[in-house]
Amino acid sequence: MDNKKIKKHSFSVSTRRKVITYIILFVGAFISLLPFIWMISTSLMTLGEALGTAFFPSSLKFENYVIAWQRAEFSQYFVNSLLITLITLSGEITFSVFAAYAFARMEFPGRDLIFGIMLSTIMIPAMVLIIPNFLTVTWLGRIGPIPWINNWPALTIPFMGSIFSIFLLKQFFAQVPNELFDAAQIDGAGHLRFLFQVVLPLSKAPLMVILVLSFIGTWNSLAWPMLVTNTPDWRPISVGLMNFVDEAGQLLNLTMAGAFITIIPILIIYFFTQRQFTDSIARSGLKG
Amino acid sequence: MEKKNFLRRTFTTRRGRRLKEHLTAYIFIAPASILIFIFGIFPVFFALYVSLHRWRIVRGDMIGLQNYVTSIGNLAYVVAFFLGLGALAGIYFIVKHILKMKREQGDQPWPAIFPGLTYALMVFAFLNWFYRALPEVLDIAFKLRGLERNEIVFMDFLLEALRSENVLPAWRILLITFLVSVAVSLIILRVWRNRRNIDYQAFFSLGFIALGVSIGLLAFTLKEVSAAYATALETGIDPGIWPQVISITSGVILLVAGWLFWRRAEKQHTDRSFWLHILAALILLVGGWLLIGEIPMILANGDKKVWDGLKVTAFFSLGTVPLQLIISIFLSVLLFQKLVGSNIFRIIYFIPYVTPAIASAAVFQQMFSNRHSAPVNMLLKALGLPAQQWLFEPRGVFTLIADHLGKTIPAWAAGPSLAMSVIILHSIWTFVGYNTVIYLAGLGNIPKELNDAAEVDGASGWQVFRHITFPLLSPTTYFLSLIGVIGTFKAFNTIWIFRSNLALGTTDTLSLVIFIEFFEKTRYGYASAMAFVLFGIILALTLVNNRIQGSRVFYG
Repeated sequence: MDNKKIKKHSFSVSTRRKVITYIILFVGAFISLLPFIWMISTSLMTLGEALGTAFFPSSLKFENYVIAWQRAEFSQYFVNSLLITLITLSGEITFSVFAAYAFARMEFPGRDLIFGIMLSTIMIPAMVLIIPNFLTVTWLGRIGPIPWINNWPALTIPFMGSIFSIFLLKQFFAQVPNELFDAAQIDGAGHLRFLFQVVLPLSKAPLMVILVLSFIGTWNSLAWPMLVTNTPDWRPISVGLMNFVDEAGQLLNLTMAGAFITIIPILIIYFFTQRQFTDSIARSGLKG
Repeated sequence: MEKKNFLRRTFTTRRGRRLKEHLTAYIFIAPASILIFIFGIFPVFFALYVSLHRWRIVRGDMIGLQNYVTSIGNLAYVVAFFLGLGALAGIYFIVKHILKMKREQGDQPWPAIFPGLTYALMVFAFLNWFYRALPEVLDIAFKLRGLERNEIVFMDFLLEALRSENVLPAWRILLITFLVSVAVSLIILRVWRNRRNIDYQAFFSLGFIALGVSIGLLAFTLKEVSAAYATALETGIDPGIWPQVISITSGVILLVAGWLFWRRAEKQHTDRSFWLHILAALILLVGGWLLIGEIPMILANGDKKVWDGLKVTAFFSLGTVPLQLIISIFLSVLLFQKLVGSNIFRIIYFIPYVTPAIASAAVFQQMFSNRHSAPVNMLLKALGLPAQQWLFEPRGVFTLIADHLGKTIPAWAAGPSLAMSVIILHSIWTFVGYNTVIYLAGLGNIPKELNDAAEVDGASGWQVFRHITFPLLSPTTYFLSLIGVIGTFKAFNTIWIFRSNLALGTTDTLSLVIFIEFFEKTRYGYASAMAFVLFGIILALTLVNNRIQGSRVFYG
């Protein structure tokens, strides 16, 4: 009898705790999502509703998206951003994979020194780099065969050498067991074959993280593209959205539609990769 | 055929295989290293060069520390002086390290002094050549204007630039020091057989470099200070640099001494520990008072924008980092209970972090719009509060609250402007998910037995958290606070979007001030100098954070 009572009591306490926990978690989730809900809901309103006090549209005006897409010339900016991301990523991943492999699994004089110097560049604030890099890029465009300003090189090449990606991949490559390498060597495989046939297939998760983070980085970069572009030819979506918000600021439904359009690609990629993504972030973050 | 055999022979011996491995590794790291060098390391030296000039789109005259003096007043001289002294301290640590190695290994490392000296001279010869060649090479771009661009023309101009009378002697010196260094180094390697030969050579080189840097910096600072006094004689206003150097130096020395005393007091468990604590606290107070009294006065003669930018940045850090840490540690503990659906919550909390900040800033801008029908103003109305201007409001939050309560508060207690508070809220909203995920990983590393044992002992949930979970999470907290503070110093994109002229610059952090100076006013030299001020602050914060928090972090 007594025993039963205690059990019942503790059960109710833990249920209450659970309920409170859930309430708090739901409030957190609600606050996290509220701006998105409001954005989507406003983007489907008429202008009158958007400027009024309604929280939900009376009828769904999907044509706002078409209008926003056309008025902001998003098709151009989308293509630009995609191209910039693709070029940056292909260079960044190729260079980082080789460098990370060398740092993780090869012996050479000065290895730790070079890696340490490269890692210390993380501390340097972007504002120190932005002015000299602007001068360098202008100079390179003036002396080289193709202009850099208003063109893809200025937007992509400086970001292809990424110590963050090298660091992340190095952490991963170092965990590949040595026995695998010994086995591969006995089979006559050199570093290149070991890298491509053993290490890379094992490293899908960090590659995915680099992919998503670079994607977000390119999608988000503002100061640098503002500096090195002055026509829409190569301007990325971030600058496009900023200009659109400036121009159409009062047309609330359209700016919210525009904002949501720029978010969609990132959200899709995030939902497909979120597992590896949060795992790798947690792992790399803690070891950094 | 002959050649192939030769190649095969060189690469099949044991040494040859090692050589091949080294070469492969260098080829592997080459592309990434070159890019990081060009766009990550070289720019620091380039920016230093720019910051020492009057530079508006095109390079003007060299003006020494003038840009720094304009931005932070006479503090520029003090800091340059301190850096020189810091390099002297570096020599002390290097010599100490060499002596320790000597004692432990029983070596006589003195032969390595010669290559150390020549290598250091080589480094300075390189810097000399670099800073002479840089302007000539930069000018090629202007010479090429209107000409047909191809490699031959460029190479002609490049050779011409490198052979000009300014650069050539520096190049010869560099070449001579290089050859001498390599020769001396090889001779010492041959003659003095010691496994740590290269280590000793490297440490002696570092020591001589530090010596050169400190002599150079101190001489440069003295020259600049005497120049400032010379101009002061003409105008009749005393710049008062020396008194400032002395009072700030004593302030810093007192702070460091007080800190050391405090550490010593903590180690002792006798009655003396109490008095030592008191003494340490007194010294800290005096030192801090000297600095707090002196530094703002110096900065008052600098650019007001720098001082304001710093204040805004401090508000941004203090407003964002502690709050987001508290919220995320709380959420992560709740999520860690592995309830049904906790994975979904984790995914949701992380969405703001991956959302492009420009888009979410545009949304926040509208939610916190000054329209009366905007969501947040509607919420205020429902609570019976007046609608606010939000991003257009330069007045401080605490001032606004006090006004509403019918009280007045002094100007220094105004707090961040309401506009800045919106940016702080957005920043917290963005980064809570990221911090939560990292805290979750930290929680996963805590051994479960500890919690269980505590619960068996009858500890309440709060006690477990207070005495077990929280201390064991301290490395994570340390890491996240450092990342958070540095992040607020670096933040640019969202503030640029949120920025409005009506907020009267109350949202401009130092990064924004620098960018505006560079982008809108095209004062490259001055903006570079300000960027180095920001860099210095970030470095100092990291160091202090390491010293203070690092000793308190508990690494299981």
